[in-house]
Amino acid sequence: MQTHQYDVVIVGAGGAGMRAALEASGEARTAVISKLYPTRSHTGAAQGGMAAALANVEEDNWEWHTFDTVKGGDYLVDQDAAEILAKEAIDSVLDLEKMGLPFNRTPEGRIDQRRFGGHTREHGQAAVRRACYAADRTGHMILQTLYQNCVKQNVEFYNEFYVLDLLTDHDLTTEQIEDGAEVNATGVVAYDLASGEIHVFQAKAIIFATGGAGKIFKTTSNAHTLTGDGMALAYRRGLPLEDMEFFQFHPTGLAGLGILLSEAARGEGGILRNSEGERFMERYAPTIKDLAPRDIVARSMANEVREGRGAGPNKDYVLLDLTHLEPAHIDAKLPDITEFARTYLGIEPYTEPVPVYPTAHYAMGGVPTNIQGEVLRDSHNVVKGLYAAGEVACVSVHGSNRLGTNSLLDINVFGKRAGRSAAAYAKAAGPHRDLPENPTVRVEAQLAEMRDRPDGERVADVRKALQETMDANAQVFRTGDSLNEALATIRELQKRYRNVSVQDKGKLFNTDLLEAIELGFLLDIAEVTVVAAINRKESRGGHYREDYPDRDDSNYMLHTMAYRRPTSASDAADGHVAGYFDHVEDFGDYKVVLGSKPVTQTRYEPMERKY
Amino acid sequence: MTAVLENPATESPKPEVGAVPSFEVTLRIRRYNPESEHGEESTWDEFTVTAHGTDRVLDALHMIKWEQDGSLTFRRSCAHGVCGSDAMRINGRNRLACKTLLKDVNPDKPITVEPIKGLPVVKDLVVDMEPFFASYREIMPFLITSGNEPTRERLQSAEDRERFDDTTKCILCAACTSSCPVFWTDGQYFGPAAIVNAHRFIFDSRDEGATQRLEILNDKEGVWRCRTTFNCTEACPRGIEVTKAIQEVKRAMITRAF
Amino acid sequence: MAQAQTPSAIAAPRSPYARRKTTRGNFELYSWVFMRASGVVLLVLVFGHLFVNLMVGEGVHAIDFAFVGGKWSSPFWQVWDLLMLWLAMFHGTNGVRTVVNDYAQRDSTRGVLKSLLYLASAIVVILGTLVIFTFNPCPPGAPAELLPSICFPN
Repeated sequence: MQTHQYDVVIVGAGGAGMRAALEASGEARTAVISKLYPTRSHTGAAQGGMAAALANVEEDNWEWHTFDTVKGGDYLVDQDAAEILAKEAIDSVLDLEKMGLPFNRTPEGRIDQRRFGGHTREHGQAAVRRACYAADRTGHMILQTLYQNCVKQNVEFYNEFYVLDLLTDHDLTTEQIEDGAEVNATGVVAYDLASGEIHVFQAKAIIFATGGAGKIFKTTSNAHTLTGDGMALAYRRGLPLEDMEFFQFHPTGLAGLGILLSEAARGEGGILRNSEGERFMERYAPTIKDLAPRDIVARSMANEVREGRGAGPNKDYVLLDLTHLEPAHIDAKLPDITEFARTYLGIEPYTEPVPVYPTAHYAMGGVPTNIQGEVLRDSHNVVKGLYAAGEVACVSVHGSNRLGTNSLLDINVFGKRAGRSAAAYAKAAGPHRDLPENPTVRVEAQLAEMRDRPDGERVADVRKALQETMDANAQVFRTGDSLNEALATIRELQKRYRNVSVQDKGKLFNTDLLEAIELGFLLDIAEVTVVAAINRKESRGGHYREDYPDRDDSNYMLHTMAYRRPTSASDAADGHVAGYFDHVEDFGDYKVVLGSKPVTQTRYEPMERKY
Repeated sequence: MTAVLENPATESPKPEVGAVPSFEVTLRIRRYNPESEHGEESTWDEFTVTAHGTDRVLDALHMIKWEQDGSLTFRRSCAHGVCGSDAMRINGRNRLACKTLLKDVNPDKPITVEPIKGLPVVKDLVVDMEPFFASYREIMPFLITSGNEPTRERLQSAEDRERFDDTTKCILCAACTSSCPVFWTDGQYFGPAAIVNAHRFIFDSRDEGATQRLEILNDKEGVWRCRTTFNCTEACPRGIEVTKAIQEVKRAMITRAF
Repeated sequence: MAQAQTPSAIAAPRSPYARRKTTRGNFELYSWVFMRASGVVLLVLVFGHLFVNLMVGEGVHAIDFAFVGGKWSSPFWQVWDLLMLWLAMFHGTNGVRTVVNDYAQRDSTRGVLKSLLYLASAIVVILGTLVIFTFNPCPPGAPAELLPSICFPN
């Protein structure tokens, strides 16, 4: 075991983690721990753009952007946070440009902008050009630029280190913590993949920027490595997860594969058609048609397929038509996604429409934070020295449905904020707080148990069953029955998980072992997602309940806060004002307690969401 | 959902609606695990899996890892050619496993899969990438400017932006550098990837660090070791004209010197 | 780390894996330019040489000791042949040097090969230069029947 001491430790080296590192490393001694080389992070797969009301090509302002974000999130957005997001967007984009990001340019040499789903002028009048972009590889450019600047600033990285535990000075799962009492994060425990050694990182401030959990679904645009590690660790240590029932399905994944085709394809003029060649979005969103927010488009597509108007031999997808666009235009603006269609499906987008179907894309929910990036341990108390940013966090700027281009924005705005707050906190804080007696005991036990178990279930079988039930029962359309079925399957898989074993018993680069650990995270995240979805008996944004097809503001204009507690804990005494939902799902070995958190509303009254 | 596609171009008889055509494929994988009974020796293992039309080499590797031999070790993340984790030598050529369809590499014969060459192997298909990234860091891969920052963005014409577009596509997968015979010899050569990333800044109209970068690459192990074998251009999964970029850097140095 | 010597062995990790030394300076640049420039000049020199020796007048049948001796009595051909010798030797030596750099895996091998190369080149260049400038077709005291006709001006 090795112990390291830093002022700030950042977990995850994607967009949010590296943006935070750029802020923190100049101010305080900072380390970034990442389970991948930084440039492998999934920020690099983002394509379309990053929204900011620069007004470089047409009139625009941040207030319209705020409104679009709030409306896009079906009013479950914390409006103060959305306002910060939209206001600071402008500086975030300019920061990146100054760091060297090669944006596409207007004829005047300014950053070019294009249309994107849900972004409108004058509160929904018409689509507006707000997304700053670099061809269809904006995320790639952001990731590269941030890494380049980390190289410039000599940021310390621990690559291929898996953080497997979060250390705090109070056990939030069992202890009764008074309202207002101080809880501190003191460090993390990490596993060095190359050597199999355990490292303890003691820190004054810790930032979680571990990304999403798309691998709970089978069809997903997410990387194999997006297994919800940060969310699951926080959840297991007694911290709540907010709004986990809201998962975004991106309308245009390559059919059957889930590989993302950017919304920019529609921003540049692409059209969705059903088997009859009809532009069906005209029926669902008469004003902005194919550029409606993702939840609406995804649902419309799934509905077309369900009503028998799907294309293909199995009638199980719709078509993204780019054939009316000039090949030169496609090559200039959408080179990568057209190459995906060619490579993976053998389709030539110049002349043939591309088969697409919704693919699991983004977790709106996550570890709750305030606008400084500080992690909440209930509806209002923070954990001192613990921060989160990016997809792992829920600020909540995305509410129940994120707008396209707002995630690249989120990582930059809140990554920067978290980095600054963490560095400031670490500088002001006293000496390092003591670590628990035996900081690595939990991780070592977990690894040893997994490694030493002789013969049991295969990781891949359990994971496949999980992903299949999530795709079948908790996807675009959900019902109470389907969700209960998913939950029953997950419970059964949780039991099977206790019996999984790995074939690779070695210490060096044991990815077999880590996949098994990641499966545990996936199961926990899927479970809390489904429990929260069962509880929310309304349809809002990315969460659509066929048995409750309408939005129900009187009962559900609240954030869900899910806590994992031992069965012995008394329900009401959770201390976090269990609140409105007060729903408890007791599994025998532990229980999931659902509390709530009010939605912050400032300027905008909830209205019906029409496009 | 299954991945059956209507493809009017294919001549083969249409399979029954809903049926996914499948085929058997054998992978011959170079294994190395210092913890195993083979020690420092590397060995060849053969695995046979059942694959489908749109399956990639990465899918086959996953099938092997998940169903046959969990100890098979390789890196992967995004699985669609943008993260650069899974560069490997497939049938003797450097490619990304997630971008290489099995049907395109002659699945009738065993497909050989080896780690990329020239970097120290850690385990099976995993190599130590540190030397590769060290070269990358040496060429100062970041925008260098002087003077006060403008309040708004720096202006750049669309033509100036286009000048270095090709080299911005690099994902640092090391397919180019590890396909270069000069790099194989002793690994001292900076390698195509580092030069590509230097090119990205040298030809960026906003950058003012070209002189320093050219100075660095004027090293004995810099651009002058390129023998224009075009292995790198052929290996690049992003279609970057790597050799051309290297020649452009050479030309910039000569123009500067004379 | 031990390296197994079987063909299937994986090369031992090369650590420490830092660039061993930085050699900034324009040597490689000039060498690269020299190779291209000398190549072009050599084309002219070599083909000019071949043309004069093999095609002009009686062509190849005219070549004998007297022919060579006659040519080297002219400063023009002395300079021509000297240039040809030097450029060809430097061009060739530099070419072999890069081949050694590319293919020798260890520094010691590289050192030995390059030393031999430079030694050989130096011998050839020095001897060749000496011959071109000190060549006397009519050494004093030599038997008259062995000397060419140019030694006996009328």
